[in-house]
Amino acid sequence: MSQMRLWCDAMWGIVRRDAILFVSYRAQLLAQFVGPLFSITIFYYISHIVTARSIHSPGGYFGFVIVGLVIVQILTISMGVMPVTVRQELVSGTIERFLVSAHGPINGILGTMLFPLINALLSGVLMLTLAAVIFGLPLATTAVLAIPVALLGTLAFMPFAFFLVSLVMAFKQASSATQFIVAGVAIVGGLYFPISLLPGWIRWASDVQPFTPATDLLRHLLIDTPLVHPAGIELLKLVGFSAVLLPAGVMLLRASIRYGQRSGTIAEY
Amino acid sequence: MSSSSLSAPLSNQPSGGDSTRESILELKDVYHRWKGPKPPVLDDVSLTLRAGEVTWIGGRNGVGKTTLLRLAAGILLTQRGSVSIGELTPRSKGGLYRRQIGFLSAGDRSLQARMRVTQQLDYWGRLAYVPRQRRAALVADSMRRFGLEEFADRRVDRMSMGQRQRIRLAMAFLHEPRVLLLDEPRNSLDDDGYQLLNQQIEQAAGRGASILWCSPRGEDRVIACDSSFTLTEGRLERVG
Repeated sequence: MSQMRLWCDAMWGIVRRDAILFVSYRAQLLAQFVGPLFSITIFYYISHIVTARSIHSPGGYFGFVIVGLVIVQILTISMGVMPVTVRQELVSGTIERFLVSAHGPINGILGTMLFPLINALLSGVLMLTLAAVIFGLPLATTAVLAIPVALLGTLAFMPFAFFLVSLVMAFKQASSATQFIVAGVAIVGGLYFPISLLPGWIRWASDVQPFTPATDLLRHLLIDTPLVHPAGIELLKLVGFSAVLLPAGVMLLRASIRYGQRSGTIAEY
Repeated sequence: MSSSSLSAPLSNQPSGGDSTRESILELKDVYHRWKGPKPPVLDDVSLTLRAGEVTWIGGRNGVGKTTLLRLAAGILLTQRGSVSIGELTPRSKGGLYRRQIGFLSAGDRSLQARMRVTQQLDYWGRLAYVPRQRRAALVADSMRRFGLEEFADRRVDRMSMGQRQRIRLAMAFLHEPRVLLLDEPRNSLDDDGYQLLNQQIEQAAGRGASILWCSPRGEDRVIACDSSFTLTEGRLERVG
């Protein structure tokens, strides 16, 4: 059996494990459905009192903010859940299975990230479906193209999760850093309001991370918001961020695990 | 299980080890020191584990037995010295190195509480790179060997400590490793469980595996070891 087949079997084993654990907490399933529904309802009514001339999309502020909410949901689930999951692995000692297995700690932690990502993407699709079916959000005909773009965007976001998980491996905590990153991204990535409203001195921050091009592209594909730059340029930015940040993120993760293994803190929690 | 069967020899080899046997795992001048102004917990420790032999290491609580096992398993990396199985080391060919190792940690951790026993063992089989064709058979076999068949569909968090220890042992033995590193394997086991453990150790030694058993009590008096040591102030002293 090829090494790749064994690797895939192990990765699938981790995804299956996380799915089993997720489904075993039934209230969690319900909360994941009801939570977004409440957020959509709140912003649906807020959009009735917001007149935003700087937003040029057929869905108005509601359409604009729903795409932002979907990205926040993806970020919260992926970035929020990943470090917490890895921390739980440390506390419960289950990370030991990765440390003593042929699959190894790096692959094990990467595998641990898969289920939250799949879950986050499904959750995003659910939010858009609810917004369209219940609140009449006019989705563009190009909406289906948002799926590969969301996957590419997720790849570009992953290094930030690697960074947080590395913090957990080295220092055992990352909750405050997670909140800081998600809140910061929400501001400079234009998730709740257009970045054109930001003061000039901070606007540069919108150009040096992958969240802004991902958000702009998704809004364009989902609700037909006009793009500031051509789609090809925005895609290139996402590919570039992924190509640079992903290897850097994996190296950081490897270094944090090696540090823990040398110092002995890998067994601490 | 009677006390006489508890002390039944696991191997016919004389205590003290047989240097003509193939060496499997070698620790050379291993040094480890925890942070802070403390002496090293392991101070240039060397140990060779040979095929088909059972080695016991005892010593007081906190003396460094678990650290030694973790270094041998590749969970921790050496600060100085080396750990190797032939040409494989945890640093250079970590995945291949770990395929040779079956590890049981002390305590009752490292189980997925809400998974069922078969799911738990299948999960471990995947992580250990057991090929798909052999996995189901090895899972079933390891459940049989540790008396877990009747609990196959039970969730781990609904099982007793002794039953959990059997699952943890089943995972350590499942992929038929060449080296078994066992940290206090008797924890929570009843007499039947202990008998099963002894049988499995005997079988593993019979197929050429090397077993390292660590515990604070004098287990070398109730299990037959080819060599036994105590760890004191960072150094191994042979006691049998």
